Parts: sequence; structure tokens; C-alpha cells
Amino acid sequence: MTAAARFSSGAAVNGRRTGRRRRLRSGLAFYGFISPWLIGTAALTLFPVGYAVYLSFTNWNGTTPFKPWAGLANYREVLTSADTLSTLSKTLVLAAVVVPVTIVGSLLLAMLLNRRMRGRAMLRTLIYIPAVVPPVASSLIWKVIFDRNSGAANRVLALFGVNPVSWLSGRTVFIVMIVVLLWALGSGIVIDLAALQTVPAEQLEAARVDGAGPFGRFRHVILPAISPILLFQTVLTVITTLQTFIPAILLSPIAAGGMGVMTNIPQANEVYMVDVYEQFFDYSRYGYGSAMLVVFFFVIVAMTALIFRFLGRSVFYAVDPAKAHQR
Amino acid sequence: MTAIKNPSHGTNRGFPPQVPAASRRSRARRLARRNPLAFIVAVFIAVLMILPFVTLIISALTPASQMGADRWLPTSLRWANFADATRYIAFWAMAKSSVILSSLFAVLATFSSALTGYGFARMRGPGKNVLFAVLIGTMMVPPIVTLIPTYLLFSDYHLVGTYWPWVLWGAAGTPYAIFLYRQFFSSFPKELEEAAVIDGAGPLRIFIQVFLPLSKPLLVTAFVLGFNAVWGDFIAPDLFLNQSNTTLAVGVASGYENSQGYPLYNLLAGGALLYVVPVILLFLFAQRSYVRGFATAGLK
Repeated sequence: MTAAARFSSGAAVNGRRTGRRRRLRSGLAFYGFISPWLIGTAALTLFPVGYAVYLSFTNWNGTTPFKPWAGLANYREVLTSADTLSTLSKTLVLAAVVVPVTIVGSLLLAMLLNRRMRGRAMLRTLIYIPAVVPPVASSLIWKVIFDRNSGAANRVLALFGVNPVSWLSGRTVFIVMIVVLLWALGSGIVIDLAALQTVPAEQLEAARVDGAGPFGRFRHVILPAISPILLFQTVLTVITTLQTFIPAILLSPIAAGGMGVMTNIPQANEVYMVDVYEQFFDYSRYGYGSAMLVVFFFVIVAMTALIFRFLGRSVFYAVDPAKAHQR
Repeated sequence: MTAIKNPSHGTNRGFPPQVPAASRRSRARRLARRNPLAFIVAVFIAVLMILPFVTLIISALTPASQMGADRWLPTSLRWANFADATRYIAFWAMAKSSVILSSLFAVLATFSSALTGYGFARMRGPGKNVLFAVLIGTMMVPPIVTLIPTYLLFSDYHLVGTYWPWVLWGAAGTPYAIFLYRQFFSSFPKELEEAAVIDGAGPLRIFIQVFLPLSKPLLVTAFVLGFNAVWGDFIAPDLFLNQSNTTLAVGVASGYENSQGYPLYNLLAGGALLYVVPVILLFLFAQRSYVRGFATAGLK
């Protein structure tokens, strides 16, 4: 409508004015529709992030009325403190284990559940259900299972003559944390299954006629078709895994207790977010904690850029028709 | 019917619902024979995924005296454990908080996200592309990065200890849901609202009367995502609420311990089970719409 009015009576002054008014009105409508989000994001996302950036340059402890300026000291400490770097590296190790297994595992499961088989809908539901379990519950469920005395894990091991293991203390608790995160592996299945439906059937058929085996069809037809989704999923999984917090504080032989009293967290579970929490609420180091949050944000941006650089290239390579013809 | 259907409608072609039960059964048997290995592997994985729930139920029904005894099943089942689990912490009060906060947030976020997604999909305005880039950018900001500074700011405005933060978060919508809505609303032809414009309907009426009724699966998806996000959230209620009005996630996570701080595993199992059942029921109930919402909007 707007465009039609603009072009048909473009020369007439009157027409131009109503066109402008219409455009103004549609612009107002646009801002009207998005205003809840626009105001909300400004107040609840952008402003707090800005506040954290500001605090990161101070040494505020939350009680003094003024906030002593610290310059770059907090950032220097984040990047050189052995404690912080160790929590960061633990978090990266966690992601290095969990992300590939999650992406590959949920794709394999989706391909399995994409085949025609008896009871398929039921099997899909059962495999997906752990993915809707909230992290608090899944952490507690595995905590019950991995308890040294009453847990099922040690009872299974006892069948093979293995002595009881104190899973929740020492380094082994890191393994339990990985199990908690991998239990929700099914969360990618719904998206993967939907993506698999977009694979062109005629291309699969053509590949079959050309003598491509199941692996060849996967490599040259299925993978290129779903690679954009896989890339998107990888980025999201990296971001969520780096933020791991709840399993880290809940998996301990002694209850972690309420906020600010997280004194019983096993050393192996001191991931980056636990460190941030402790800086804020145990040590009242608001400036340092804020600097850690800002650094964390940049770590995520860097990881995303890296993923796009290394995986993104193969995504575009795969869909490049010129290259596809050379095969 | 409470199972995940194929997200795409086209692939169930060979499976019309009116096939008589007998031939359907023989067809299922044929399928099972054709693909026995895939079926066995899928069943094995499904059992593996469900097994933790089974052990949880067993633990929840075990009398305290038999926790840690060297046996797979207790000699007697103690159903009173569930009642104890709801008394050991203020279970129902916290469940009420969880229900109120989750529904409040989910309803607000569902409609606010729909409004914004609609605006991005079907309206024009200066700066739209920049704002959309901001939206995608905020998807990348981990919630925890904003949560702690928000806590510091909200405590200045006396919003800590109230439900207001959830109202505000809900009213602002969630980037992920907005993105899904935008993709969904973009897929309709222009004629849809042109007819309504000729009838003299304003933009808000077109949205409510024409587009909202078409987006039921996505409304369900957004509601379920929002409800589960708050029901499962630990950090926000832990920071923003206190003992008297906090949610079940916090209560279950930290309540079941004896005076020395050691967990009471059978009560913990019972409490965790009661906490997780509503989420699973909601998912099973909404599953078909939920999966369809993803399939229609998530992939474009």
C-alpha cells in the first residue's frame, strides 16, 4: 500500500505528503510492536552489561558508597591469576569433551530414529525425555546414583568385583558432571530430525544409483544438507556448556547449601562460573567478578568466531555447486 | 499419541491413520524384521536413558534404614517417603511460587515475543536491520553475564525479594522465541494482511485476529520453553528471592540434608522426582505442538 501510493502519485505534493505520513505511521507501528522487547533489552540486558563493564574497572566491594577506580588492574589479574586460569581451563576441557559428543551423538541418534522401525514414536519420546529434565533435577538424580554407599553406580561396579568408588569427591566428580551434561544429549534430536527431513530425497536416490554406500551418502549428501544446522547447534552447545554451573555446585558429597555458602564444592568442579559466583558473593569482589564476566563474554565471542572459521568453511564448501560438480 | 511424531508431515505418507489395527500390527512386525539391528540399538539406548529414573524411583521408595544396604531393591517400599519429602522442606509453598512464576513469565514472554517477532517479520521501520542484529547479538550474551549486575541494580530499587523481576523479564520477551516467531511469521504471503487492510483493520487487529490464531503450535512451543526455563532455573530465584518465597528448584537443591549437611538421599530422590514430574507431563502434553513449532519455524 505504502509503495503503491508513493509511486502512483509521486509528483503530486499532496500524494507525497500522505506517503510520508503513511511511512511514518508504519514506522511507528513497527516500533509499537517491538517496544516491549526494545525497552526490556535496553533496561535488562544492555544496561546491566554496561554496568558490569563499568564495575570491572573499579574495586568496589558492594558496601562503600563510592566505587574506587582500578583501571585495568582487574583484567590484568584475570588474565594472570593461576586460580582463574585453572577454572577457565577446566571449563574449556569440559566443553572439549561435552560438545563433540553431544553434537555427534544427537546426530547419530536422530539418524537412527529417522529409520522406520516399530515403536519409533515411543522410542523418540523416551530418548528425548532426559533433555527436558531441569539441570537441578538431573544433577540430583545423578548425585543419588553416584553416592558412594547407596548409589546404583557402585552396585553395578560391584558386579564386576570393583571396590566402591567415592565418585562425588576427588577428581571423579568431574566425570559425574560430564555424565549429567551428556544425559541431556537428546535435546538436539528434535532439531536434527527436522533437519534430516530437509535432505533432498532425489539426491539420496541419485547417490544410491551412482553406487554410494551409506557412508558415502552421509558424507556427500546428508552432511552438506544439514551442515548449517549443525554449525548453529555447535555454537549454542559451546555457549551453554561454558556456562555450566548448577551441576558443579550440586554434585558434592555434602550439600552445597544456599547462596554464598558454597564452601563444599569439590576442587574438580571449580569451573569458571563457580569462580565468578565466589568472587561476587563469598569475597565481595564485585569489580573482579565483573571483569571475569566481561572476559567470559569475549571468550564466547572468540570461540564462536573460531567455530565459524573452522567449521563454517566446510559448510560453505559443501554447498558450493561449482565444487560439487567436480566430484 | 503422546509420542514424538515425525516433525515433517510428509514422511508419514505410508502410514494413514485409518489402517485397521491388524494390518498395522503386521506392518510394524515387517518393519521390525527389516531393521532389527536399528530397533535393538534404539531400544537399548532408550532403556539406558530411562534407567536413571528407575533407580531414582527405587531410591525414593527405600526406607532410610535400608539406604546403602547391599541390595538392589528394598525389602519393603515406603510410600510415606514422598509425604516426608513434602514436609521436610516447605514443598507446597515453593511449588506454588514455582507455578506462579513459571506461568506468569511464560504467558508474558509468549505474547511479548510474538508481538516483537511479528514486528520484525511484517513491519517496516527505520533501523530495523540494526535492531535485528542487536536481537541476534543478545542471544549470544549468556544470561549469567546480565544476571549478577541486574541483581546489584535491582537491589537498589528494592525489587529483590519480589516477583517483579520475572514480570519484567517476561514482558521483555526472550530472543530465542522472538527469533522463532519472526521466522514463522515471515513465511506467510503478503495477501494475508492486505485483505484485512482493505477491510479497514489496524495493525494490532490484524496481528490478533489473523496471525495469532495461525500460530498456535508456536505459541505452545514458546510457552513450554518459557515455563521450563523458569521452573528449571536455579540461579535467578537463588539470587532474587528469599527463604519465604523462593522456588522449588532452590528448595529441592539445598533442602534435603541432615543437621551435619549430609544429604538424605531417599527424601532427596522423592523431592527431585516430585519436582521433575510436572515438567515431563507438560512436555508429553504439549509434545506434538512443540515439535511442530520447532519444525515449522526453527529451520528457515
